[in-house]
Amino acid sequence: MIRTTVALFLFAIVVCGLIILRPFSSGEEVAGDRLGTPIETDVEVTRAAPTDLAALAEAATAPLVTNAATGLVEAPRRIDVARPNTDDTRLSDMTNNVLAELGFAGVETVTTNSQTQRRSTSDILAGIEAATGHRSVLEESETLEAIVIAALRAGETDERIDTIINEAAAAGTVAVPEILVTSDGRVDTHVLLNNIVTQAQIASGGAAPTVPEVSPDNTAGMEVRVVQRATDEVEARFYTVQNGDSLGAISIKFFGSIQHYETIFEANKGLLSSPDRIRVGQRLVIPQLDA
Amino acid sequence: MNHRILMAAFCFMATAGNAQDVRITTFKSDSTFALNDQTFTVTRNQDTQATLGSEYALTSRACPPHCLQPLIVADGVATFAELEVLTFLEEHVTGGTGLFIDARSPADYATGSIPGAVNVPFPTLAAENRYRDDILRALGAVDKGDDALDFTQAMALALYSGGPWSDDAPTAIEHLLAAGYPAEKLFYFRGGIQAWAHVGLTIQHSQNPG
Repeated sequence: MIRTTVALFLFAIVVCGLIILRPFSSGEEVAGDRLGTPIETDVEVTRAAPTDLAALAEAATAPLVTNAATGLVEAPRRIDVARPNTDDTRLSDMTNNVLAELGFAGVETVTTNSQTQRRSTSDILAGIEAATGHRSVLEESETLEAIVIAALRAGETDERIDTIINEAAAAGTVAVPEILVTSDGRVDTHVLLNNIVTQAQIASGGAAPTVPEVSPDNTAGMEVRVVQRATDEVEARFYTVQNGDSLGAISIKFFGSIQHYETIFEANKGLLSSPDRIRVGQRLVIPQLDA
Repeated sequence: MNHRILMAAFCFMATAGNAQDVRITTFKSDSTFALNDQTFTVTRNQDTQATLGSEYALTSRACPPHCLQPLIVADGVATFAELEVLTFLEEHVTGGTGLFIDARSPADYATGSIPGAVNVPFPTLAAENRYRDDILRALGAVDKGDDALDFTQAMALALYSGGPWSDDAPTAIEHLLAAGYPAEKLFYFRGGIQAWAHVGLTIQHSQNPG
C-alpha cells in the first residue's frame, strides 16, 4: 500500500517537473494565433508611423476655410440644412387656438407650452426687477398662431400662406412646432392646413380620419419586410424619408393624422434626436398601431 | 446664607437668558442687507434645543435624480458656505452688483427660501427657453450684435438650490456658462436651503411676484 502511494507521489512530482521545465520544448515561437492565422512576427506596431502629409492634404477634397479674424483653419463640417426655429408647442394645441380664435363653436383656447414658457419668464423678470429696480421688457415676438389666423381671415391661398410662413421662419421671427420641419428645412404648411381641417371636422362632430391603406405600390419610399419570429410572422414596415417630408406628413401618410407622430418618433429615437431633425434618406421604422 | 446663593444663581440665569446665545460668529450676531431698498435681517434660531423638521430633515432622497454634488461644479466658479453667502448679500447684493438666485422650481421656492434670494428656475436658463436672452439682459448682459451678449456689466450671481443633493443650481450654472456668462461672476452655494436651515438661519416664506 505504502509503496503504491510513494510511487504515485513520485510520478506526480515527475509530471509536475515536466510541465514546469518543459525539457522537450524546442523553444519555437508560436506561429499561429488561436484561430490558426499565422502571426507575422516582423511587423512592428507603433504609433509613430510616419505619414505622408502631402498625400493626406490631397486626399481632403473639401477646401479648408481659414478664419480671417483668427487665422485658424476651420475643420470641414458636415453641411446641415438651415432649419426653422422650433419650440415645444404642440401642433394640436396651436391648431386648437387658431380654431377658437376663428370662432369655432365648442373649441376652447388652451395654453400652449410656448405661452407657459413666456409667462414663467415674465414672472422671473418681475422677480429680478423687484430685486434690482431695473425695468426689463420681455421682447414681443410674432407667433405662428397669429400669422395663421391673419392669413386665414384674409382668405389667402394655400400657396400664399406657405410663402408667408416660410418667409417668417427663414427670417427667424417665428418658432414652429417641431413636426412641421421638413427634411429640406422648410415649414410644412400642407400638414399645418390639413390638420386645421381635420381638427375643425372633429370639433364639429365629424369622424376622426381613418388609418389609410398604405402599401409599397401606392407609396414611394415604403418597404415591407416579413420578419420570422419564434411563433409568428411579423410585417415590418419601413419608410425612406423623401425630400420635403416632415414627421407630421409621414404620420398623416401612414396613420391619417398627426396625432400618431410620437409613435413614429419613439420607434426611431436612435435615428432622430428630435422630431425636427429629419433628413432625406433616413430609413424610419413605421410601427403598427396598437388596436 | 443659603437664600442668597439661590438668588445669585437666579439672577445669573436670567441674564444668560436675555443675551443672545446663538450667534452667527463670535463677533456677529446678525446680518443685515438691502435689496432694492427692502431691508433683510438674518439671525439664527435662538432655541438651542431646536431640531430640523419636515422637508429639511430628509436624508435619503432618491439618486438619481437627487445625487451628491462636487465641491467645485465648474472651472472658475467658486463655492460658498453660509458666511460667504452673508458677505455676498451684504456687499454685492446691497451694493446692487450681485444677485442671489434660487434655482429651484417656483413650487419649491414658495415653501421657503433664503432672504434676499430671487427665484430663477434652472430650466428657464436653458438654451431651449426662447426668452432666455431676456433674462440674461435683466441680469445686466448687453447686446453686442450678431445675437451675442456682452457680460462685462452683468451682475455677479450666487446660486443655490435644495442642498448638496440637488443639481438644480449646478445645472443653472452650466446653462449660464454655456450662454457665455463669465465663470468668475458665478458662485455656487453648495449647502443650499438645507444647510441654511440646518444651522438655524432665517428662512423667508415668500411667493413669486406676479
